[in-house]
Amino acid sequence: MRHTVKVRSAGMFCVSFGVLATALLFLFFAAVNTGSIHLGIAQLWNGLFVEYDPDVAAVYDLRFPRILISLMAGATLAAAGTLFQAVLRNPLADPGILGVASGAEFAAVLATALVPQLYSFVPAFSFLGGILAFVVVYRLAWTGSLSPLRIILLGVAVQSLFGGLSAAFGATSSGTTSTVASIVNGNITMKTWQDVRILAFFSLLGLILAIVCSRWCNLLALEDKTVRGLGIQVDKVRMLVSLIAVFLVSGCTAIVGTVSFLGLIAPHIGRIIVGSDHRKLIPFTMLLGAFCFLLADTLGRSIAYPYEISASIIMSVAGGIAFVILLQRSGMIHGK
Amino acid sequence: MENNDCFEIRHLNFSYGNKQIFRDLNLSLPQGKITTILGGNGCGKSTLFQILTKNLKATGGKIFLNGQQLDQIGLKQFARKVAIVHQNNTAPGDILVEQLVAYGRIPFSYLGKAESRENDEKMIERAMKITGITSLRKKTVYALSGGQRQRVWIAMALAQGTKVLFLDEPTTFLDVRYQLQILRLVRQLNEKLGMTIIMVLHDINQAVNYSDEIVALSPQGDLVAQGVPEDVISKPVLKRVYGVELETVEAQEHRIVLTI
Repeated sequence: MRHTVKVRSAGMFCVSFGVLATALLFLFFAAVNTGSIHLGIAQLWNGLFVEYDPDVAAVYDLRFPRILISLMAGATLAAAGTLFQAVLRNPLADPGILGVASGAEFAAVLATALVPQLYSFVPAFSFLGGILAFVVVYRLAWTGSLSPLRIILLGVAVQSLFGGLSAAFGATSSGTTSTVASIVNGNITMKTWQDVRILAFFSLLGLILAIVCSRWCNLLALEDKTVRGLGIQVDKVRMLVSLIAVFLVSGCTAIVGTVSFLGLIAPHIGRIIVGSDHRKLIPFTMLLGAFCFLLADTLGRSIAYPYEISASIIMSVAGGIAFVILLQRSGMIHGK
Repeated sequence: MENNDCFEIRHLNFSYGNKQIFRDLNLSLPQGKITTILGGNGCGKSTLFQILTKNLKATGGKIFLNGQQLDQIGLKQFARKVAIVHQNNTAPGDILVEQLVAYGRIPFSYLGKAESRENDEKMIERAMKITGITSLRKKTVYALSGGQRQRVWIAMALAQGTKVLFLDEPTTFLDVRYQLQILRLVRQLNEKLGMTIIMVLHDINQAVNYSDEIVALSPQGDLVAQGVPEDVISKPVLKRVYGVELETVEAQEHRIVLTI
């Protein structure tokens, strides 16, 4: 009796993790095969590792970067959302809603347009922009304690400010720099292996940090004074976790632009499936985020073929609907 | 230690912005006893609680814990000496009781030795046994009653294995059966384990019944009286502390304050 519960919950976690990982694998092959060129597994394997195959090469150059970017961006945004929700103890926290993403986006847009020779360092600039936005929201929302409502309202304001600035900047320079436009529109069609490498650096580092801080996230669910009573400098912990979250969002935004709702929805679904223990929740949410983003991108490529709908547009439509459903659902639970 | 005081408070000053809460407060809290801080709303008893538990910083004066100056004790070091049960605790609904109790070992968690892990287990089991929640260990916090939850928080504090335990209004929001359960548990902790208990209570009669020592604060944050309950609880003291005339009667060898 004593051990069955534990075993079952650990088992549940493994099963859901396994199911999701398998689904992701299938989705990956579907994504590779979505479009005018179709490849079998054997052909893909041969083309990648054995001998040159023009079809495989085309897919490798055109589809692989966006698939990998989708996977990394999804995982990164979902992890960032989980961390923000832990830090602010607010299930509505989302990098997009908090204004962090648009701060990062604006800095990325500026850097891309003004110092294009530093392209590889754009995520570093967007990190600064993200921190700026986060500090502004956090400072203004602070009135002795953090009111969730104030954070959300200020986040919306900061979000729309930076979003507008980016859009204005994009509109005046889109003729000359398509990279700027791609960030503003959240378009990942023309991403290259260079983008993959940049994002891989920032997001892998960030994802590892996110997993490392999962124990801290668990503690942040308790009252601050309780955590302090356990000998933990809770303000420092909160700041570090926030920095990691901003870092995650920034790297991702610099490459794919602002994507809303993913950071909000993925942790919610994750919590329903694996519970609120961050040691399970964070890895699971990463996988779920990767799945959702790649699904959105692949759907966007096929729904209106040969036209493309960008993943961030799909995400905001599907995410908006999912958000309403989740709200309804939680309302029903509390209404009981 | 030549004197028997756990906490010594010397010339304590504290203010929130312009609002002065404590002016030159001097106080000693004895070792190995149950001390209850009494006072009306807004007298600063919770503030004092937060200062003594390092959640607020005094603006002046000195506080000593067993002779060591409080602000020179690091948070982690402090958590190995003093455990605290705050009011209005929250936890994720799906956390297991034993996981929450295990948090009490966090102040010791960077020792990283195998025997320390074994010791952790021992302390967690012991804390759950004392508080009578061993059978609830695999339940989620969500599934517990208010009284059970309070015992889980006390268990988490006990897992820290400290000599001193702070409790901030541990009986608030519980019905009377659970209130008595908690207070009896507190008395046991003091009598059987020799813990020093410092708590804030709202109910005067519970304070009289379950404390060795009472500290009564006036609405201005001054010390009105300190000592054994029978000496402290009197009409004039109650008048100064709460601002109302309260009758007392003797029944079953206890002084009872009529709060109606």
